[in-house]
Amino acid sequence: MNIINIAWKGIKTDFRDTRTLVFMLAFPIVLMLVLGTALSNTFTTSLPVDDIDVLYKDTTMGEYFGHFISEAEKSGLHFKKVTGFIDGEKEVKQGNYDGYVEVTDQGIQLFVNNGTSIEGTILEGMLSSFVDQYNIASEIIKVAPERLESAFTHENSVNFIKETSLLPDQQPGSMDYYAIVITTMIILYGAMSASSLITSERVRRTAERLIASPVRKSEIFIGKVLGSLVSNSLCILLVILFSKLIFKANWGEHPGLVFLVLLTEVVFAVSLGIGVSFLTKTSAGPTVIIMLFVQLSSFFGGAYFKIDNPEGIFKLITDLSPLTWMNTALIKIIYANDFAAAIPALTINLAGALIFLLVSIISLQRREGL
Amino acid sequence: MNVLEIKNLTKKFADFIAVDNMSLSVAEGEIFGFLGANGAGKSTTINMIAGLLRSNDGEIYILGKNSTKHSRFAKMNIGMVPQDLAIYEDMTAYENVKFFAGLYGLRGAELHERVVEALEFVGLEDKHKSYPKSFSGGMKRRLNIACAIAHRPKLIIMDEPTVGIDPQSRNYILTSVRKLNEMGCTIIYTSHYMEEVEEICSHIAIIDHGKIIAEGTKEQLKSIITNTKDVWIEVKSAEKVDVAALKSINGVEAISVDENMIKINSDTGVNNLNKIIEHLMSCQMEIRSLQEKAPNLETVFLTLTGRNLRDQ
Repeated sequence: MNIINIAWKGIKTDFRDTRTLVFMLAFPIVLMLVLGTALSNTFTTSLPVDDIDVLYKDTTMGEYFGHFISEAEKSGLHFKKVTGFIDGEKEVKQGNYDGYVEVTDQGIQLFVNNGTSIEGTILEGMLSSFVDQYNIASEIIKVAPERLESAFTHENSVNFIKETSLLPDQQPGSMDYYAIVITTMIILYGAMSASSLITSERVRRTAERLIASPVRKSEIFIGKVLGSLVSNSLCILLVILFSKLIFKANWGEHPGLVFLVLLTEVVFAVSLGIGVSFLTKTSAGPTVIIMLFVQLSSFFGGAYFKIDNPEGIFKLITDLSPLTWMNTALIKIIYANDFAAAIPALTINLAGALIFLLVSIISLQRREGL
Repeated sequence: MNVLEIKNLTKKFADFIAVDNMSLSVAEGEIFGFLGANGAGKSTTINMIAGLLRSNDGEIYILGKNSTKHSRFAKMNIGMVPQDLAIYEDMTAYENVKFFAGLYGLRGAELHERVVEALEFVGLEDKHKSYPKSFSGGMKRRLNIACAIAHRPKLIIMDEPTVGIDPQSRNYILTSVRKLNEMGCTIIYTSHYMEEVEEICSHIAIIDHGKIIAEGTKEQLKSIITNTKDVWIEVKSAEKVDVAALKSINGVEAISVDENMIKINSDTGVNNLNKIIEHLMSCQMEIRSLQEKAPNLETVFLTLTGRNLRDQ
């Protein structure tokens, strides 16, 4: 009963503390809004392509290229025949056209301004396709001209390569992403308040009164930790609900598992805070250490900007961030229904928490008073 | 019956012996005064009685039971009023008392009654919904006491409960201490204010260097000092007083100056009053009154320890 008494007192005073509420509730919500809105372009997976304007010169006698032009027009490619003294190559260089095509009996030559531009690549791909079909037709005519029509009938023009996205429409948008990473970051910040769970009692001198009462040190410790866990979890729940309902952030179809993973991070953060407070001797020590740890974890864990495919030493550092494990696990659960991804995050969080709690318990047992 | 009994108690901090083989007993119904300068060992002793510190040696008995073996029983019967305010600023007066009383197993209606009773006792019933941050120093001290008495302990330990408060609040607290005693509580009281201890304590122990150097009633302690007398000389201005020169006069044991009052402790066997007056006159100090007093507790303390109680 004393444990619940102490925990309840902690929860009550946490929710009365305006600074705690602002930090745990308003701060992540504002950060989600700002980063989710400001960096939305970073998360766009489609690229808009405008109409493609092409100059061409056809010196052949055939009408095949003309057919190609009329079909290509349907896809937004606009061909204009070079007339008079217009220099096609120069026009492309000056950026007036996206490409210049010269069609001769020897073949097709394409001039584009930038070989890696999207417009140039599209144009090159379409012309290659046209040339391939032309060559096939030429070969068929040589050996079996009667089969030409059947070879190119509509029924046979099936797609031999079907391109399908492995995760169709299953990539987080900017708000979805920042809802996850800011939530995991703010949980880690919970270590700050946890670091003062016991030290604040010493500073306020209430530790003496607690120890003078017929309550075991273990009960005080468990009560304090429990209160902090509940307070932090409630704050996180409110942040998640807000981001889901107001920002329409995607938290997936398995909220139970997602929240369970987040809960283990809360346990880790609270244990980290209380553990560091026992390991350091100065009152400012825990704040400095935890602030540094959280900031670095946030930076390398992708809380401020998304880190794609890190390599070498950078990958090693990002892998050390608890937020990397958390964010990876949550994104896999939410966007790939990969439940197994929860296991490493759960294991690391709980193992870390266990270590810090053991350190705290041993220190507390050795200490006179709290 | 003894509410508290200490046998050969010792506490060391590294090489420093804070409490040195101390033994004492406090009978039921006493207001027991603990006198000692800073670092004398009284707070360490009190903290060991309250269970805040572990002793290196010796035993403490609360109501006849060993406090180490029966820790819960001992703590249930002790109310601790720490020297520093031990209250939560972010909880109301009612919530503060309720929280601490709840740790002693009180629940429901009984808990509520005890909380109200404690707040009424310290005169804060009208402020039960207020937060301590809006309280004066005296009110905070009273709340500090309320948090220690709601569970009706048999033994209340008050460590400097009147530090830094106005005279009105001090009187209120001293009256409360007497009332608690009349209600059957045994009280251990420490203070830097000798007059407080002299006023309310029925039994006093003087501690120095971790040892009890004198113990007894006020009269018993004063009777220790038979060879000195106190001479209090009020002057217009004590700014020019030459303490060293006064001390050099034959028979003068100790001198303290309190505003315009020069307090001289002197050997009863030496007639040196004329020389003292001559010296003050030579310093062109205008004497307004002169009183010869019997030794008080301060004199006893000064004589036994060689320093004032408020010396740092």
